[in-house]
Amino acid sequence: MGIVQKNTILSELTVREAMRRQVISLPREADLSAGIQRLIKFKVNALLITDAGAPAGVVSKTDIMGAYYAGLPIDLPLGDIMVSPPHFCRPEDSLEAALEQMREHGIYRLYVQGEGGAVAGVIAYPDIAGILYQYCHECKYSRLRRSERSGDDPQLRFRVKEVMTPSVWSHGADEPLTAIMEGLSEYRMGAALIVDEDGAPAGVVSKTDLALAYRHGCDAGVPARSIMTAPVRSCGEEAFLEAAIRTLIFSQIHRIFVFREAPSRITGVLSLSDAARVRSGSCHACVSSRITVGDPA
Amino acid sequence: MNVTAKDVMTPRFHTLSPEMPISEAVKRFRQATEAEGRKIFGMLVTDEEGRMVGMLSMYDILLFIQPKHVHIWGAMEDVDIVGLVDDACVRAGTILVGDIMTTDVISITPDTHLMAVLDIMIKKHIRRIPVLHDGRIEGIVYISDLFYHLVDKMM
Repeated sequence: MGIVQKNTILSELTVREAMRRQVISLPREADLSAGIQRLIKFKVNALLITDAGAPAGVVSKTDIMGAYYAGLPIDLPLGDIMVSPPHFCRPEDSLEAALEQMREHGIYRLYVQGEGGAVAGVIAYPDIAGILYQYCHECKYSRLRRSERSGDDPQLRFRVKEVMTPSVWSHGADEPLTAIMEGLSEYRMGAALIVDEDGAPAGVVSKTDLALAYRHGCDAGVPARSIMTAPVRSCGEEAFLEAAIRTLIFSQIHRIFVFREAPSRITGVLSLSDAARVRSGSCHACVSSRITVGDPA
Repeated sequence: MNVTAKDVMTPRFHTLSPEMPISEAVKRFRQATEAEGRKIFGMLVTDEEGRMVGMLSMYDILLFIQPKHVHIWGAMEDVDIVGLVDDACVRAGTILVGDIMTTDVISITPDTHLMAVLDIMIKKHIRRIPVLHDGRIEGIVYISDLFYHLVDKMM
């Protein structure tokens, strides 16, 4: 008898189960404005760029932000700013392997190469967080459906503070968009917390907000307050991870700010990427159940 | 008889501008529905010179409101529908018609044969096609008008 350690539930799930089959793409000749239009319309963070129909590169919201910062014209071809080549995985790869590949290359999504080399789908961090949520939902110990089960040990459940990034940087509401973009780029973040004169959270400027501002012809020197989204979505440090994930997913936001005691005291941020990196469902039972005693090989 | 698009098209049409907020577009959908006495599910989007730049359908707006990843949920009994709609409204606040309209719109000319129009509607799953003459919009062919035009001959 030996101890068999399976890493996480992500080793058992494949890319096929979590990938999205709709891949939003544009030819390299299409301009940045058309690219942003697709990103907004289909609610995706990146586009696959094709050259004569074949995958040639990727343009993400981060690349769009870079173009905005550099003052590039909105009618520039997407091919001029794309990052190539696109990275691929296979439908039969485990989610664990896909996450490894993303981390190795410092990227947030992989395209999925199906039979015959055709593009069969795309998988990104939110898709993985989504399947973890679904996994918890179907679990026989699920608290998502029965929130008040007697005899449950709340210690088993992850709390937001265990998973969040415990530092937040913020910008003043009067700082120009260029300063926000510098911050987002430096900290590799998807959104910036905007605070008022008293340091209280006033709003959020995300890469989506910046892409829209770029497309709408907004000057990059305008203050953050003119395009920020308010109010700030936040949750307490002690909140259960699954509740936070549910808010993230259904509100279609990529991060939720975390406060201690009062919403005015922001202490961290939880992103869907953080949730995916937990590599488990939303409770410790899921992790410990991965260590099973099996028959000798 | 050679029946073409101009024989079944509606010469009246309502338009939206790409710079219009989505909330305004929804208002225009209501007004157009009242004015026409029929449900309007899609409207043409034109630039300042009246050239067609896209089309916005209720489907496009619903696609925007629908939460992402809805396909992987399965059981949805723990979803707060009220919160969902409120969130969608907040997100839609800064979105303009041009941000979510369909830009690759199929169009026909007044001389397109009725059977070709029918073929496009069936193959492409579309219910309305703008009729363009030298780039100018002349009208719209609705699938219901095409339907009654064809089946009335059966009676």
